[in-house]
Amino acid sequence: MSKRKRILIARLGMDAHWRGSVVVARALRDAGMEVIYIGNQMPEGIVRTAIQESVDIIGLSSLSGNHMILAPEVVQILKREGADDIKVIFGGTVPPEDIPLLKEAGISEVFGPGTSLKKIIDAINSLD
Amino acid sequence: MKQKTDDQKAAARLKKDFKKWHTDIYGSHKERKPHFQTLSGIAIEPLYTPLDTANIDYLKDLGFPGCEPYIRGVHPTMYRGRVWTHRQLAGFGPPEETNNRYKFLLQQGATGINGVFDYPTLRGYDSDDPEVYADVGRGGVAIDTIEDMRVLFDGIAIDKVSVSLVTCQPICNISIQSMYFANAQQKGLSLNALTGTSQNDFLMETAITTAPSVLPPKASFKVSCDAIEFCTQNVPRWNPISFAGYNYREAGCTAPQEVAFVISCAIACCEELIRRGLDIDSFAPRLSYFLSAHNDLFEEIAKYRAARRVYHRIMKARFGATDPRSLMFRFHVQTAGVALTAQQPLNNIARAAYHALSAVLGGAQSVHVDAYDEALCTPTELSSLTALRTQQILQMETGVTNTVDPLGGSYFVESLTNKMEAEVERIISEIDSMGGIVKAVEKGWIHNEIASAAYQYQVDIESGEMPIVGVNCFKIEDEVLPIELFKGPETLLIQEEKLKRNRKDRNSQEAAKALDAITRCCERDGNLMGVIVDAVKTRVTEGEISKTLKAFYGIWHPPLF
Repeated sequence: MSKRKRILIARLGMDAHWRGSVVVARALRDAGMEVIYIGNQMPEGIVRTAIQESVDIIGLSSLSGNHMILAPEVVQILKREGADDIKVIFGGTVPPEDIPLLKEAGISEVFGPGTSLKKIIDAINSLD
Repeated sequence: MKQKTDDQKAAARLKKDFKKWHTDIYGSHKERKPHFQTLSGIAIEPLYTPLDTANIDYLKDLGFPGCEPYIRGVHPTMYRGRVWTHRQLAGFGPPEETNNRYKFLLQQGATGINGVFDYPTLRGYDSDDPEVYADVGRGGVAIDTIEDMRVLFDGIAIDKVSVSLVTCQPICNISIQSMYFANAQQKGLSLNALTGTSQNDFLMETAITTAPSVLPPKASFKVSCDAIEFCTQNVPRWNPISFAGYNYREAGCTAPQEVAFVISCAIACCEELIRRGLDIDSFAPRLSYFLSAHNDLFEEIAKYRAARRVYHRIMKARFGATDPRSLMFRFHVQTAGVALTAQQPLNNIARAAYHALSAVLGGAQSVHVDAYDEALCTPTELSSLTALRTQQILQMETGVTNTVDPLGGSYFVESLTNKMEAEVERIISEIDSMGGIVKAVEKGWIHNEIASAAYQYQVDIESGEMPIVGVNCFKIEDEVLPIELFKGPETLLIQEEKLKRNRKDRNSQEAAKALDAITRCCERDGNLMGVIVDAVKTRVTEGEISKTLKAFYGIWHPPLF
């Protein structure tokens, strides 16, 4: 049996919506993962905490439309810090055309509005 | 006496016949699911009869529109006299762009402005702050200085059009509302001439939308009350607070929680303003409310009606208000954004129309209908126009405006209104026993209540208990989006350039003095708004004002999880 996954959940930049991030955080905790929830942060702060907390995954949330700027920055800073074994996933309001762009930028999974919790949990469990 | 016996006989007969019908006739048929309930979990019976409303004393519990307890409406004529205000939310990019959208909506028949600000503005940050470069111009219009405010309302008769400033949190409101007032003064208008509303709800700052750093609950609440006090004394036709139940609901709470939380917030404000020496009837007529219209049509209608009755009772019994306007629960409604789906987005036109119907059947004073693309992007001109037309169709084609409180007296609606009222009262008592809403926020109780309700909602969708068309049923796999998405205009560079110019051109000594005056006002615990209205005229920025306040009051991390 694999060890419990540790996941950091953060909201990007100034995004105002916490509902999705907190609901997902509760679901992941109920699914047996260790969840660290840090609220709003900029990419540098998110990566710093992720490294300090030795997490396996960073879950980013944003509904404000800032995802194309800030989510790729998180991936780049992880690389710069030599911590790119940490996987990054994203959930929020994303126009469909941005999904392939986010994946190209190194985001492992992108979950749009209406995604089921089960789908998110399954996807995290299948990240190695 | 004989009358009474006859009534009792009739009631007994009804009870007997109903029981027989329920067991023998209804009971011989199958229902399609084991239980029926409202979105918030109130059980719903198969049929409502006079038995369910037998305890209602018409004159005491319902009365007449425009008369206590105002449950049937706050005006005697309601929509036969004047229809609700069609107040469509708008704001994006730099102020020049939003000014054009305001003018477009007014030309198309909108009857009020509903201005929403971008994420940095709502949180008290300037557009050139290093924390915000990815969010400038998103979700609303970027405002940094009084000059931006001048541009935003350029060419709009702000002494004639009522303007709602969706400032959300006190830290934003204290600067933005001050800029709005100062701009009016610089145009030569008296503050007496201004009509409108600002949001200014401390729960927004500390529990609902939250930022990387927010004012502590007590400080945020103080700043909110300062604006109410200032308006009471200087801007008499302005509604200085709009308790934002809509946003609590969007964050996840239920219909009864929404009403209980706004009323608990109002209770705290009334207590504080009375403590400051204000008479309840000097400010209470201008307290206003902002509620959601969610999916459950009858629960929403019952919610609006129950809110009016609970509010009337509290304002009268607890605060001794006597001005009729102090006793009236007046509210704006926005259709529920959280109920919209990114899947098959045109379906949202139908959803928002049903939501708006509940608002109007519930007696709303003004309504915003959401655009069909809001689960995907900022509304386009086409989607905004369709939303406005939805209101116009509801008003002009459906006949819902022809009589006042058309569902009053419905066995079901009256019974549900009573149940909603009891639940709202229960939650208000629970908050009272904690020492009020500020304490409930400080200890994280509010956050936990909202998050738990949001989680339950999602679990109900996942289990299929709550069907959402296009999401957990009637799905289209590999759907191709049938709509064009909004592309935001460039904002960051424009605002950065303006801020640079502003810092260079203004008298820096005057600006420093103005910020110092704010600190000194904090130190003597004075009312901040008058000082800030003067300060913004020296072209200090919103971010500079917020930093000054945070330096004095400190910051807080809301216990969200």
